[in-house]
Amino acid sequence: MLRPLAKTAHVLVVDDSPTMRRMIVTALRGLGSVKFSEAGSGLEALELMTLTPIDLMVLDLNMPEMHGIEVLQFVRAHSTYRRLPVVVLTTRGDEASRSEAAASGATDYMTKPFQAHELLELVRNLLPQSKET
Amino acid sequence: MTTPDSELPDNFGEQFLDDYFAECDEHIAAVRRHLLALDQQVGEGRIDSALLDELFRSFHTIKGISGMVGFREEEQLAHRIEDTLRAVRQGDLSVNVDSIDGLIESVALLDRRLAARRSAAPLPVIPDESAAATLPPDAAAGAAGTGPLLTFTIEFTPTLALAERGININSLRARMQEIGEILKSTPKVKGQGEISFQFQVRTHVDLMAQPEWNSEGLQTKAEPHVPDTHRPAPKVASNVVRVDLVRLDELIRIVGEMVTSRARMEDHVKQARKNLPSPEWRALIESTQTMARQLRDLRDGVMRVRMVQIGEIFDRMQFVVRDMARESGKRVIVDVVGHETEIDKFLIERLMDPLLHLVRNAVSHGLENPDERRSAGKLPEGHLTLRATAVAEKVSIEIADDGRGIDVERVAERARATGLLAPEVPLDDARLLEVICYPGFSTRAEADRESGRGVGMDVVKSTVEALTGTLSFSTQRGQGSRFCIEVPLTLALANALIVSVCGQTYAVPQSTVREVFEVDPSAVRALERNEIIAHRGNALPLFRLSKFFKLSEPNHWGRRFHVFVTGTGNNALGIAVDRIVGHQEIVVRTIGDSLVQVPGIAGATDLGDEKVVLILDVPALRRSALQERMMSVGNQA
Repeated sequence: MLRPLAKTAHVLVVDDSPTMRRMIVTALRGLGSVKFSEAGSGLEALELMTLTPIDLMVLDLNMPEMHGIEVLQFVRAHSTYRRLPVVVLTTRGDEASRSEAAASGATDYMTKPFQAHELLELVRNLLPQSKET
Repeated sequence: MTTPDSELPDNFGEQFLDDYFAECDEHIAAVRRHLLALDQQVGEGRIDSALLDELFRSFHTIKGISGMVGFREEEQLAHRIEDTLRAVRQGDLSVNVDSIDGLIESVALLDRRLAARRSAAPLPVIPDESAAATLPPDAAAGAAGTGPLLTFTIEFTPTLALAERGININSLRARMQEIGEILKSTPKVKGQGEISFQFQVRTHVDLMAQPEWNSEGLQTKAEPHVPDTHRPAPKVASNVVRVDLVRLDELIRIVGEMVTSRARMEDHVKQARKNLPSPEWRALIESTQTMARQLRDLRDGVMRVRMVQIGEIFDRMQFVVRDMARESGKRVIVDVVGHETEIDKFLIERLMDPLLHLVRNAVSHGLENPDERRSAGKLPEGHLTLRATAVAEKVSIEIADDGRGIDVERVAERARATGLLAPEVPLDDARLLEVICYPGFSTRAEADRESGRGVGMDVVKSTVEALTGTLSFSTQRGQGSRFCIEVPLTLALANALIVSVCGQTYAVPQSTVREVFEVDPSAVRALERNEIIAHRGNALPLFRLSKFFKLSEPNHWGRRFHVFVTGTGNNALGIAVDRIVGHQEIVVRTIGDSLVQVPGIAGATDLGDEKVVLILDVPALRRSALQERMMSVGNQA
């Protein structure tokens, strides 16, 4: 079952802080014609993914109800999302958190506070369109 | 490992400051609530780990967003608190009264820092020490035992069709939280690669008996057993939108203007009666009436957006009480009633200081220390009740203590000595309130005013009245005192009586009016210099608006006139006008310029005919009438 490639890239931002979500979306505006969806919890993110195809996920770790690592593990265990680029964006900068995220299948890892342009660059390089060209 | 520590380029975070402060406020309010619960649990020797998780997460988020807006010190402070909580969560640190004190102090400091950041005021210094005191670990666990409950597993498979109907994880979660507690929520992959979500819910409601829980996309099964270890899902409302109050005010102003335009349109339609065939004319009238109803709904809808729960304010009061009790050695139990009562955000912000003053007064002067209570035959713990109730268009907030009450004799003595009260006039509750709210009045040399607090009883009263509210009071020696603040649900729009006096038209906010009746001049009796009328078996003092505004036209005397009653019991006053013209919803505009402020006038409005009509300041009129009455006996003597 192939996921249809969205014409406009669709980025899902998952963070329990609405302020942080706004910051992330604002930082990523530089991507151009990208559609953003926001989810305030892991479950909400998974629900959104089942309803609409997404091309990249920016994922917080410390969230209520379902930890980011659990979201990541779930996403990786699902055939449809195995290759979905997932950027973990967290305040946790310690080595243990990094390796746990990597072991769970994170595509990339960045710590908060983040630099807007760095996040933008990182995400730009991971989006499917830029890979094809 | 690289942690970006440099300044963010072009102040990226600064554009989010409004969101940042609003979100921090929400977290700090939640933290306060959770700390209070934790404090109570420590007292009861059990600690709910979910509570610690929520606290932890709040500070974690504050840390994260503080870092993004470049507030390094707040980020550090939140980080330190987070560390303390992590230690507690892992069992390396025990929670006790001291560590909670430490946490409360840190939160207060964080709150002050944020307030200072917001107003660009000098920042309070963060002391260089740990957030909470350290003590040896102990067992901190165990959830509270509850009665027999049913557990269900609900499986939800989201679809676009359901999402379009508003059925999604968030709406479902809200519904489940309404009826019970979510024990567990897990995503599942089904055969075709579809994702479904499984919730375990514990509730008193038998979901199997309710078809809506077994409908499209939803499958509910009863569970045989209740698991022991669980973590209740936090009540996350992620579909909340934050709106600047200024924008809402703008909306309300527009709605107000629409109300006025509609009234004007109805007048035009009525005038057009003779020029239009009856069916067309009736259709027009019906449309304007439908529009009136829709406008009312629109107004109510916008107003509802401005409402906040009073519980958050009550939580803050509890902290104040806790600190004061700690300092004074008093034992105080705070009873909160009506936590969820909603009140206009603008109103509650202005009521904050008066409420704090009343609470401080109740604890420091009203409630006795345990020894004194015991010798008076009372339980050593004093009770402070904070109660909020919404009735019709008003909210009443009550602050009551079961302390010593006010020494009325002593107050009367001092009031007479200072000339505030005529010698023969008895000091009932209403007059007592007038006296204690008199600027600078005090029976103690300094103790009645908390030094540096900046608010006295006079400010409490004037603030409440400026919000077109009323303050009432009762006290009983040895039994306690009770203050009650009553304010309208909202300020911008009000229902008003339109009255006419000597050819002038005034609007009277209906929230201040108890009843209206017609009086024959022969029923008026003169008692010394005051006029009274018999009403419902009591003597009702009469206050003539024409006299107050010096509008008096002699030929008006002798005609029947209208009276509206304001206040109750001994506090009731009949305000005499020529006649009551009608009843209308008005947009209240306060007169900001102090040069044009007139005693007895609260503001101005426009009744749809583009002519300005003044709004009566009923509390000020009452004050003026009461002063007259209090002194009149003395003047006669």
